[in-house]
Amino acid sequence: MKTKHEDKSGGTQSKRIHRREFLGTSARAAAAGAAITAFPAIVRAADPIRSVGLGVSVINEIQAQASRDLGFTVRGQALGYGAMFGKMLNQNDQYEVAEGYYNDMDVMWPAGVWQPIDTQRIRDWDKVTDLSKTGRLTPESNPGQGDAPFRHLWVDENGKYVEGPSRYVTMVPGWHNADSLGYNPDDTGRPIESWAELFSEDFKGAVALLNVPQIGVMDAALAVEGLGAYQFKDKGNMTREEIDFLIDFLIAKKEEGHFRAFWETFGQSVNLMVSGEVVLESMWSPAVTAIKAEGVPCVYASPKEGMRGWHGGCSISARATGKALDQAYEYINWWLDGWAGAFVARQGYYMSVPENVKKHLEPDEWDFWYEGKPAAKELPDPFGTIIVEKGEVRDGGSYWDRFSNIAVWNSLMDENDYLVKRWTEFLSA
Amino acid sequence: MERAIETRHRGLIGVQPAPPEAVVETAQRVRREAGFPVGWLIAPGVAWLILFLVVPLASIIVFSFWTSTGHGMTPDPTLRYYHEYFSSEGFFDPESKKFLEPGIFIRTLWSTFRFTLTVMFFCLLLGYPIAYFLAMQVHSFKWQMALFLLCMVPFWTSYLIRAVAWLPMLGRRGLLNDFLMSIGVIDKPSTVLLYSEFSYTMALVQLYVVLCVGPIFFSLAKIDKDILEAARDMGATSFQTFREIVAPLSLPGVAIGMIFIFVMIMGEFATAVVVYGGKTTTVGTVILNYYAVANYPFAAVNALMLMIAMMIGVVIILRIVDIRSQL
Amino acid sequence: MARWTAEKKKRAAVKTLFSSYYVLFLLFIYGPMFAMFILSFQGRRGGTSFPMRGASLYWWNKLLEPSSVGDMQGAMLRSIILALIVMVITALFSTMFAMAFRKRFFGSGALFYTIMTGIMVPGILLSLGLATLLKQLGISPAWWSTGLGVHVVWTLPFGFLVMMAVFNRFDSGLEEAARDMGASEWTVFTEVTLPLITPGIVAAGLFGFTLSYDEFARTTLLAGEYNTLPLDINASMTQRIRPTLFALGTASTLFSLLMIGLFLLVYTVLAKRTR
Repeated sequence: MKTKHEDKSGGTQSKRIHRREFLGTSARAAAAGAAITAFPAIVRAADPIRSVGLGVSVINEIQAQASRDLGFTVRGQALGYGAMFGKMLNQNDQYEVAEGYYNDMDVMWPAGVWQPIDTQRIRDWDKVTDLSKTGRLTPESNPGQGDAPFRHLWVDENGKYVEGPSRYVTMVPGWHNADSLGYNPDDTGRPIESWAELFSEDFKGAVALLNVPQIGVMDAALAVEGLGAYQFKDKGNMTREEIDFLIDFLIAKKEEGHFRAFWETFGQSVNLMVSGEVVLESMWSPAVTAIKAEGVPCVYASPKEGMRGWHGGCSISARATGKALDQAYEYINWWLDGWAGAFVARQGYYMSVPENVKKHLEPDEWDFWYEGKPAAKELPDPFGTIIVEKGEVRDGGSYWDRFSNIAVWNSLMDENDYLVKRWTEFLSA
Repeated sequence: MERAIETRHRGLIGVQPAPPEAVVETAQRVRREAGFPVGWLIAPGVAWLILFLVVPLASIIVFSFWTSTGHGMTPDPTLRYYHEYFSSEGFFDPESKKFLEPGIFIRTLWSTFRFTLTVMFFCLLLGYPIAYFLAMQVHSFKWQMALFLLCMVPFWTSYLIRAVAWLPMLGRRGLLNDFLMSIGVIDKPSTVLLYSEFSYTMALVQLYVVLCVGPIFFSLAKIDKDILEAARDMGATSFQTFREIVAPLSLPGVAIGMIFIFVMIMGEFATAVVVYGGKTTTVGTVILNYYAVANYPFAAVNALMLMIAMMIGVVIILRIVDIRSQL
Repeated sequence: MARWTAEKKKRAAVKTLFSSYYVLFLLFIYGPMFAMFILSFQGRRGGTSFPMRGASLYWWNKLLEPSSVGDMQGAMLRSIILALIVMVITALFSTMFAMAFRKRFFGSGALFYTIMTGIMVPGILLSLGLATLLKQLGISPAWWSTGLGVHVVWTLPFGFLVMMAVFNRFDSGLEEAARDMGASEWTVFTEVTLPLITPGIVAAGLFGFTLSYDEFARTTLLAGEYNTLPLDINASMTQRIRPTLFALGTASTLFSLLMIGLFLLVYTVLAKRTR
């Protein structure tokens, strides 16, 4: 393994050596691997495998690197969330690998569009942290409410959900993050330490909330709990009464003119803060980096109630068989290999196999992005633009701090239809 | 259009005497025999429509009676989603003995409709003079075309890109606020320029007004300029000429333009997020929200109700102005 | 004579009034694009909103480089090709339909409303309905097949109604005169009808091009494995929105203006030659 790390920049040569080392472990993967090493050009020409996902993981540089390393073409199709969801659910003949999210699992898995993944074919399965396997990154972690990966991970070979560790999984855990509130410290005038600040009178008319009912409602629930106004039994799966209380509360706030806007895409949330429209909003972590890169001060709050987590990963289409299936496994193995993890780390996302990611990051980068230490020097984003100044510290502390206190994970509730209906009433109010 | 003809004859200037009925009949008989055979003209288009419209539409209708499983649908026929749509809160509350307000979905349809009417009004108000200018004031076809195309240019920049540009234009630190402050109209940035009903209305008018300029322009361009000249020579004022000749003759174009705008705005779903900050819902956003949670039957019910509302609107517009009567 | 000068003066005044209104109108519909023009020259470290952080051509250069999410150049090429095909088919079908509708025929009412349904059916569900059927039949969607199919369904009513406006109060005397002189139907069409309705056909085609180029919802499930431009831009919004988008918008605007200029030039030259 050490060789590989040193040869990081050496490209495909070292990868192949590395691949040979591991050939002994899995017979089937070995066959595929050998074929690839022997006839890369032919394989590349014959059948590319197709992967769909959001622009979070489907980035040309990533799939291009995968194609170079693997010797066959991986063609990524990046889509917006709605288009991705529709495609994954309705057209599993259009992709081999779905770079999806655990909070959609309640839809995708019962629909049977994906197949159980055999962890024995996942090379670095043992290195995947317990965050996704048991919900506890560290022994004393709080696993959090909602659709945490470990609640939607384990299945048997027929695809039936089972308790606890088994040989088969729904999705190989990949990139993830914890979201909270972003704010402009110059405008708020004080540090934000609780979700409750989302409803603070001080920021009336300058607050934005995420306009995806399933997620926006959780940010609101965290804030309401922070105010001490209500206690939810399970924010990841609310009852009708709980939804009613929350939406009525939100409607009252909306009628007071509390919200400046509701945003739907990452880019919108960035622009809202940069242009000074809002001072405080629910936000995705890399947005903070993007805002600061545009010269606007922005801090990512670490609320005492904990953050809202989300977790993505790779699933395989139920239609993938034979060689395409083997290549899908190869591609997923490649994702865990660290290069891609390092790539997304420079955008602020975390990867389920930190020890592999570490090998592909410079020590200074590792210290900044994962350890939460001050940057020892200027650091670039994956495309080479400097986005971190020397001495800067990542908000929210280290990876382990952040993920040992997840309040709730992005979820799909049983009362989802009712939630969407009430959310519609909220927006119409 | 019959009404338009009547108006013309009742009016000051009866320039065109009605043709004797016999002549009209003969002309129509001749016309019925002449021209390409109808079958050949419509066959390719009809085949296309059946394949890509009628068949998928039929499946949407079927879906609306299926049962949502939370991850798709099963073909168990049910009326549940229609019931949910119409009586989500009940029509009548037996305890308080009064009628309840309709459910959120019908209210959304209604508010979408009301809003659409407002936008249609403004589009007509702003668009008509442009069409009039192009048809009546610009004399060469070359310049008419060029000036019309100039109005179309913004539409060749992807809608999603233009949407992003609203914020730097109307936001607190946007160009318009800067401009207004520099000329001293306001002394601190206004927040009503963006994420308000004002900005929403304005954005929709801006987006769709061109759709009515085109058809009105075509109606106006066909008006024989000699008639207008004659009217003026006979001493009619510009306003009289407009009211008696120009306006009635442009009605088909107005009707077509209004149909475009009506249908587009009833189906609108993206603009609200960008310029109203998502602070309202339209039928389009409801459909998308249910599509996004894979409740396809209910999305289909909403879609069908929207289509019925649109169809009624179009029929009403065509009742007022029958664009087919003078083909 | 005095009356004529007064009349002329008045007409000139009216014309000035209308022209000024036209300019204001242009300012209005170009509205947000001014911010877009300026911000496309945003400095390297700036974003898609004010303030400007320096000025540069950095984002313009980025237009030529491959994008990191999606495939902007490829998607744009696909969208333009698709829009051009849609334009031709829309113009053709709208003309044929409108000519058919000059006569009353059996089922014309039903056909009229069927055509109109094309703009009424919510795109996302049309896309879902067709995608579900295709899956049953085992046919793969692609932007140039199924995507094209639903785009034409969407643009056809616009083109069709424009052509209806063109044929409304259409003077068929010329056509009949030609027929009386023994011209074949085809000759009547190409020599008499076509020259009269060409502007309408162009407009119908333009509607087709414009609407198809911008169409997002209908394409979501029917574009297949390659994105059209709106899908691609939508995907790129899951990342930071960069001023590259504004450079793209400004570039396409400039290109359109250039094309209009070219149109004026070619038309002037042709008109001179025929004279």
